[in-house]
Amino acid sequence: MTEAPTPVEHAAPTLRLRGVGRRFGGLVAVRDVDLDVAHGERRAILGPNGAGKTTLFNVIAGDLSVSTGTVELFGRDVTRMPARKRARLGLARTYQQSRMLLGLSVEDSIYLSILGVGDGHLRPVTLPRKDRELRERAREAARRAAIDHKLSELVGNLSHGEHRQVAVAMALASEPKLLMLDEPASGLSRGERQLLTDLLLGLDPEITLVVIEHDMDIALRVAERVTMMHDGRVVVEGTPEEIRANQLVHDLYLGRHHYAADE
Amino acid sequence: MSSLALDPKVAVERVVGVGVLVLLAAGPAVFNDYWISTILTQTLFFGIAASSLVFLYAYGGMISLAQTALMGISAYLLGNMVTQRVPGGETKGLTLGWDPTLALVLAIVITTLIGLVFGAVASRSLGIYFLMLTLTYAVIANYFFGQVTQFGGFSPIAGINQYTPGFVGDLIDHPDKLYYIALGTALCVYVVTRYLARTPFGLSLQGIRDDPVRMTSLGYTVPLHRTLAFGYAAFVASLAGILLVWWDGQIAPGNIGIGATIELLVMCVIGGLARIEGAWLGAFAFIVINNYVRDVELPVVGGSFNTIIGLIFLVIVLVSPDGLMGIWDRLWGAIRRGGGGGRPEPAAVGASTAREAGSS
Repeated sequence: MTEAPTPVEHAAPTLRLRGVGRRFGGLVAVRDVDLDVAHGERRAILGPNGAGKTTLFNVIAGDLSVSTGTVELFGRDVTRMPARKRARLGLARTYQQSRMLLGLSVEDSIYLSILGVGDGHLRPVTLPRKDRELRERAREAARRAAIDHKLSELVGNLSHGEHRQVAVAMALASEPKLLMLDEPASGLSRGERQLLTDLLLGLDPEITLVVIEHDMDIALRVAERVTMMHDGRVVVEGTPEEIRANQLVHDLYLGRHHYAADE
Repeated sequence: MSSLALDPKVAVERVVGVGVLVLLAAGPAVFNDYWISTILTQTLFFGIAASSLVFLYAYGGMISLAQTALMGISAYLLGNMVTQRVPGGETKGLTLGWDPTLALVLAIVITTLIGLVFGAVASRSLGIYFLMLTLTYAVIANYFFGQVTQFGGFSPIAGINQYTPGFVGDLIDHPDKLYYIALGTALCVYVVTRYLARTPFGLSLQGIRDDPVRMTSLGYTVPLHRTLAFGYAAFVASLAGILLVWWDGQIAPGNIGIGATIELLVMCVIGGLARIEGAWLGAFAFIVINNYVRDVELPVVGGSFNTIIGLIFLVIVLVSPDGLMGIWDRLWGAIRRGGGGGRPEPAAVGASTAREAGSS
């Protein structure tokens, strides 16, 4: 299992990476990653800080280009496709350092998320019927992320935990086919974590979910398969049970010095 | 708070706004000729130009130093197209003698197109690089009209306000008419700009101001948005340019030099870069100071408009980076806290948080 041979699906997987690498000058952040995430699957990516999880996310979303390898989304090679086009294919993501639209209200932020994957980005007029429909969808997404009591508040006035909720609402609102969450639980209170876990467990089964999460509890409850990264590589892949029982995972998370000494 | 309930601050602002508008609409019945033709008309059209700069910053997070140049481009275009060759005269420029209505439309359209080209080139730059590029446009425009004698040259193209479209009429003998045209134009620009901010285009522009990388990952084409915003700002500046030549009658390289560019920026900073109203407030403060403080003698340094405006500028920047509008926002916050209201002040958060998020 430590070799992690990925099973080859017959139908095109939602996400397929082959030999993906990314270097920053002399630093290799991600090397030779193969990854297949099937339609509707819930996948967690674990790994200690610096393992390359967020870089991998950025490469998948198109915020960074690959140094080597190919990225396929929904059966299409998107290796050279810019981020905005990948978003319009149905990929929505959140960011680890919250990248929020601080000068806009919660409702406007979610509205922009819906508008982004639709038409009429440049429409210089308001259309009452169309906008009412978009705003209703925005408020619905806010309800699902339990942030609907702050709709007209400026995002810049919200707390860190609320930013996470808005980010999740924005991602959900665009009705993505592939939802990628980068540490959605970090900085959340216990109650907020429970809320997030419930939200993820109740997610439409048609949505494929890839989540980076340090909270093992959330990650292992939500995920069907777990990919463990270390030093830019995939080191273990398996079910939550397998991951829980895996000695390497324990070493990486609980005794990094011990692991390093072993090498 | 329900979104339907009117914020008391907005209510106060609306009352003040309507009051100012009524006062301005009464025009000559309230103000003397000097105020109408010198102070207020100038305030209105410089405010229009300033509002194009504030629009780009407050909604787009871009500081443009090209707005004075764009204003000048439309003024020069109009001057070149409408003036006629006078026998024995020394009229400058192309002296095409075209129909004033056609020339008016062409000047606005061509300036907007030039703005779109400028915007497209600068749309991938941010922060100081964007500023430097727009400064380059300003310098190019200044040297172009100052040195290409066919289009203008060192001395001004004069007598432009003799050639106004029929529906505008004679502005030289009727300064009130120009005042009302400027007032109407300023009002339209204000309403349209405010309206634009609530449309999908305006909202996504504000999203780009806050975080262009995030907006890209939401599916937006950031450079296209920026280019179109710059085009709109050029259109607004072109209107100010037309009013400038109708008011002054002439256009010279000095109108679009670095000094004039800085003056427009100073107006915006005094008024407040975060809110569109600040454009006219800043223009008004600047022009009043310019006209009334010229002859004041200061101890040691003597009498100097630049010294005084410089000191005021310095105080504003230090005390309230969001200008006079920012002072009002903070005053309101203080009154509110005194009266026991608790919400953090949302105004001006947008522009002050405009981040220069690179691609890192």
